[in-house]
Parts: sequence; structure tokens; C-alpha cells
Amino acid sequence: MSQKILVVEDEQALNHSLREFLTGAGYETHGVYDGAAALEAFESFEPDLILLDVMIPVMTGIEVCAKLRETSGVPIIMLTALTDQDDVIVGLEAGADDYIKKPFEPAEFLARIKARLRPLPEPGEVTEFTIGPVVIDVAGHEVRRDGNRVSLTPLEFSLLQTLAEKPKQVFSREMLLEKVWGYQYKADTRLVNVHVQRLRSKIEDDPENPKIVVTERGVGYKAGQA
Amino acid sequence: MHPTKLIRWALRLFRRSLQARYVAASVVLSTIALIAVGGFLSYSIGAGLFSARVQQVLKDSTRAVTEVQSTFSSASATDEATLQSLLNSVIPALESSASSEPRQVALLRSPGQASAQLLQSPISLNLETAMIPEELRAMVRKTPGKLVYQSISLPALDGNHPALVVGAPLDIPVAGSYELYLVYDLKSAQQTLDFVQNTLFFGGLILIFLIGGVAQFVSARLVAPIRITADVARQISEGALDRRVPSKGEDVVAQLAQSFNTMAEGLQNQIDSLSKLSTMQQRFVQDVSHELRTPLTTIKLSVAILEQRKDDLSAASAKQLNTLSGQIQRFERLLVDLLEISRYDANAVVAEFETADINGLVGLAIMNIQPLADSKGSRVIVDIPSGSVEAEVDARRFERILRNLLSNAIEHGESKPIEIRVAASAQAVAVSVTDHGIGMTKAQADHVFDRFWRADPARKRTSGGTGLGLAISIEDANIHGGSLKAYSKPNEGATFRLTIPRKQGMAVGASPLPLGPKRSKKETS
Repeated sequence: MSQKILVVEDEQALNHSLREFLTGAGYETHGVYDGAAALEAFESFEPDLILLDVMIPVMTGIEVCAKLRETSGVPIIMLTALTDQDDVIVGLEAGADDYIKKPFEPAEFLARIKARLRPLPEPGEVTEFTIGPVVIDVAGHEVRRDGNRVSLTPLEFSLLQTLAEKPKQVFSREMLLEKVWGYQYKADTRLVNVHVQRLRSKIEDDPENPKIVVTERGVGYKAGQA
Repeated sequence: MHPTKLIRWALRLFRRSLQARYVAASVVLSTIALIAVGGFLSYSIGAGLFSARVQQVLKDSTRAVTEVQSTFSSASATDEATLQSLLNSVIPALESSASSEPRQVALLRSPGQASAQLLQSPISLNLETAMIPEELRAMVRKTPGKLVYQSISLPALDGNHPALVVGAPLDIPVAGSYELYLVYDLKSAQQTLDFVQNTLFFGGLILIFLIGGVAQFVSARLVAPIRITADVARQISEGALDRRVPSKGEDVVAQLAQSFNTMAEGLQNQIDSLSKLSTMQQRFVQDVSHELRTPLTTIKLSVAILEQRKDDLSAASAKQLNTLSGQIQRFERLLVDLLEISRYDANAVVAEFETADINGLVGLAIMNIQPLADSKGSRVIVDIPSGSVEAEVDARRFERILRNLLSNAIEHGESKPIEIRVAASAQAVAVSVTDHGIGMTKAQADHVFDRFWRADPARKRTSGGTGLGLAISIEDANIHGGSLKAYSKPNEGATFRLTIPRKQGMAVGASPLPLGPKRSKKETS
């Protein structure tokens, strides 16, 4: 069964082209033109990934994103024509996994989608990691903190798992972009910063004073020793 | 304060202050005028006083001589004792009978008379015979019947007093020829003159100070509006376009202020409308670029869809699809460059500086350009210092400069080797890119950073540059606080040299790399 992608884009021609292109790449697609329709289609279509334009009627992409994140960890990629970088950050903070700026290279666009739809890596020999009070159950795709289940998006899970697998290694932002987001070349490292912040807010005692995902100044991040 | 310091300070004040010069000139000129007037006044008052005194003295003396002469003529004394007492009585009589001040008297017997001197020559107490000048006595003897006078200096308790000696010959029966001398002390006249001169001197001094003060006041009043105008002009030139000079009245200064304000008003309107126009235009370029993004994305996706179905297309259509795809890429590059330059025009660029290894960035840029260099058959020769060369850069923009310079060199390098050099000093890092292609004339090199400029309009563009690459590069260099310069000679190739400070805000100083060929010292920008 092919994976399903919901395309939220108010520009008709672009909406059609996106779907035609994705269909050609082997995905099942559904297109909607505004924010409210996007929330309905999320319930009825049950997509595996959502392409979300920022500037859409009724509800903005950022509002839709925040609303979806209340209940779901479904991968969301923002489409933006905005040149103002601050809006990108707002979109990421609302919970989008990634963003892509128009006009984009179709091949790169497809690579990003594939990276987000890639099934989580098969558990290796070790299927459970522990960082302080946090237990990562790779086989069960589950994270527990002091025995309580913490709801992470697949991206956040992948980020945490990547760090936990090599507890002694410091990962630069570029390495994480490659491993977690699937970027092949240098990209916006703020993606990493924003998602590390979101992850910390879910698993840390005090996100201002992190113990589980630790910042190595000037280098990147690593799993805490706690 | 040290005297030389004081002089230097005064000179500086003089050079810088119109007012100081004006006051000094007023004081100097009025001092000269006052000295002239004071000198003349002092001289004529002195002369007047003296001549008035002389008149009075002569009148007194005439009366005294006449009196004495008649006394002697009418006396019938013949014996020595009577005559001597008569002679002696002349002195106190004349001493006290002066009309104004006391005078001193000497009655001297003329020398060279045949008869022996029988009688003593009486003389006032404070007077001595030696004080009567010999030449006066000679004059007196030569001009009988006339009064003769001479100024002398009369010794007194409080120093010498100016005095006048009036002499007249007397013919005394029996006793022979005598000379009567009346000595008038002119001390009081001298005091009057001294007083007048002192008054003139101090009056003049006060006047000079007053003139200085008045000059200061007047010049301050005159200079103040000029100073205010200069101040406002400076503020306007610094960007405070709404500053104006306050103007009162209808005199020439008020006219200056009004004309100045009219000029400032015109200038402000012009600048305002220009900047409004420029903002509108930048906004327009940004909007256009932005609005083009969505259709461009759609077009690119459509091409991608066609490429997914390439097998269904005829050979001719597939060829057209390639052309379409290539042109869309070029269109997109142009759009990106336009957007970037409009961002620079709108001052909306915020650079993100980080410390980076310039050698590393150069290596990366060469790696990325290698496919293009290979396709044109250009070898890239690298000359960089060993180790890392660290500098604060916006890596993305720095890479873009290198990419633009390298692709430009490859495009115009006619497949000859391209040289890239890196050098560093304590303050700056320089990267130069040299090609050995057809080069440019000086006039062409001056335009090389202009937007959409081409050395030869008929020449085709092979690497599909947008024509904005170098224009963006120079902005990229500027935002680093650095410079980008070009040097070229026809048929010898061109060198572009980027120089940036190692730390933001640092002064660059001299570039660590020469701009011209063969490390020549002459640099052309």
C-alpha cells in the first residue's frame, strides 16, 4: 500500500502539480486549499505526511500545524515563499518537522519527503537506551520518563535515538541534519536548534538547564551522562 | 601655562575664531589711533601750558626788572654799606612779590669790569651762582634792555624740578653792571602736564578695553547667526534634514537664514521624494520576485512531471524539455540574485558572522566549481598558506563571493589556468582570483561591478551567469567591512582581490595580497 500525502496549498495550479508529481513518484495524494479543510482531511484521509503551505486562507499553516501537534506527531513539511527567516522559525516552533522554500528543486523536495517517510531504523542488538530517568524503547517506538510514557513525534524520537545510540559522541548540527533530516549538504542549522528545544521541553526536568540532551558549546549536542 | 603653549593656544584660537581675529584687529587699530591722538594731545597741551607760563613769567620779570632798575636809579646811596644793604634788600623783595609762585633771585655782578668788585652779589638761599648757565649770562650781557630766558633743571629736595631762568642786565650807579636773574620753578606746570598725560593714558587704556568689549559684543552678535547656520548645515549634512535656522527681522542675516532654509527645504523634499521612490522601487522588486516564486515552483514541478514521463515523449519534445528545464534554472538564478540585490538595496541584509577557516572555505568553493572548470578545461592552481587562516565571516556570503569570482574567472579564462591565492596579515585576510583570459581595459574594469554589465554586449554567456554576480559580490564584501577590487589588462587576464578584516569592526589596513600582476607595487582599483 502506498503512503499517503495531504497537500495543503491554496494555489490551484501548484496544488495540482504537487499532487501530479507526487503521484508520479508513487504516493497517494489528497489536495485541500485552506486550513480548515486541512484539519478535516487529516481526520478523513489519515495522511502519513502533510505538505503545508504557510500562507493559506481561513487558518494559516502555522495555526494548522500547532493544532495538529496537539494530537498527532504526523510529519509536517512547511512550504514557504516567505523570505523573512523569522516566519520560518515560527513555523518550526509550531511543530513542523522541516520546511522547504519555494521555488525548490523537485528532486530535493522528493528527498526531503522520503527522509520524513523513511521507516525508523530496525533496532540493532541493543533495543533499549537509558539516559538518566529517560528510557528509550527502540523496538516499541516508545519513550518513558520515570515510567510514564512521553509522546514524541517520529522526528523527535529519531533525534533522541540518534543521540542515545552513541552516548559518548558529540553530534554537530550538520551531522544531525544529515542523519535525522536526510540533508545531503549544508542547510539551515536552526532546524536542529528548534527541534532540540522542543524535545527538551518534553523530556527535561528543567529545559533551561538540560541534563539529557546536552549542548557542547561551539560543537553541537550529545546525550547527557546523568 | 608655558609661554610657547600659550602662544600656540592663541594662534589656534586666532586661526579658528573669526571673532577673536575681529576683536584683536579692533583693539590693535584703535590702540594705534589712540596713541596718535594721545601723543598729539599731550604734545599740544604741554606746549600750550609752557608758552602760557613763559608769557606770565616774562610779564612778572619785566615788572620786577623795571621796579629794581627804578629803585636803583632813584637811590642816591654812595657808600658801600648802604649800597650793599640796598642790593641785599632786592632779593627778599623780589622773592615774595611774584604774582603766582615763589621765585628765586640772583643779582650777579657782570664779570670783566674795570673797577674792582666792592660789593657782594646777593643770591636766594636755595640758589647757587653755578646754576645760572654761562651761555645765558653771555646772552644777557649781549642784549641789554631785553629779557632773555632759558630752561634749566633746578635741584630740589624731591629731585630736579624743571625751571625757567629769566635774566636782565641792571645798571647800578657806583656799583657798575649787574645781572638780575629770576628763577621760576615750573614744578606745578609740570604736575599739571603729568596729570593731563596720566589722565590721557589711563583714559586711553580704559577706552581700548571698552573698544575690545564692544568689538567682542558686536562681533558675537554678528557671528552668532553665522555660527548657528554653520551648525544647522552640519546637522543637515549628518542627516537631520528637518533642521532649520531661526530667522528674525529683515536684515541681511535674516535673508541668509531664509535663503538657507529655503535651500534646506528644497533639499529635504528632493531627498524625501527620492528615498520614497527608491523604497517603492525596492519594495516593488521584492514583491515581484516574491510573487514569481509560486508560479516558478509550479513550472518546475510541471517540468519534473514531464521528466517523470520522458519515455512517453518524442525525441523532439524531449529536447525541448531539456531547453525548458535549463532556462527555468537560469530564470530561477536570476530571481534569486534579484531578490538578494533588492535585499541589499533595502538595507535588509543581516549577516551572520562566525569564525571560519578561510582555507577551508576556499577548498570547498574549488571543490564545488571543479565540474565547471573541468567542462571548460581550466586548471585551478591554489596558493594558500599552510595551516588554517581564521577570520570572522558570514560563511554563506563568503562562499558566494568565491563562487562568483571563480565562475567568472572560468567563464572569461579561455581555458587557461586559474590561480587562487590566500594571504593573511594580523588585521586582514585576502583572497585573489586571477585568470589569464582576454582581460579588460581600464575603462571596462571600472564597470565590472555594475549590474547586468557586459564587457562585450555581443559576447555570449556560456556559464549562464545572471549578470548580477559581481554586483552582489561587492555588496557581500562590503557587509564584511572589506573590499573587492579588480585589476585587468587586455589580453593578459584579470585579478579580483577580496580583502576582509579578520574580526568584524577591525580596520583592514593594507591588503595582504597585491592586486596587479607579478606582485607589482602599483595598485589600481
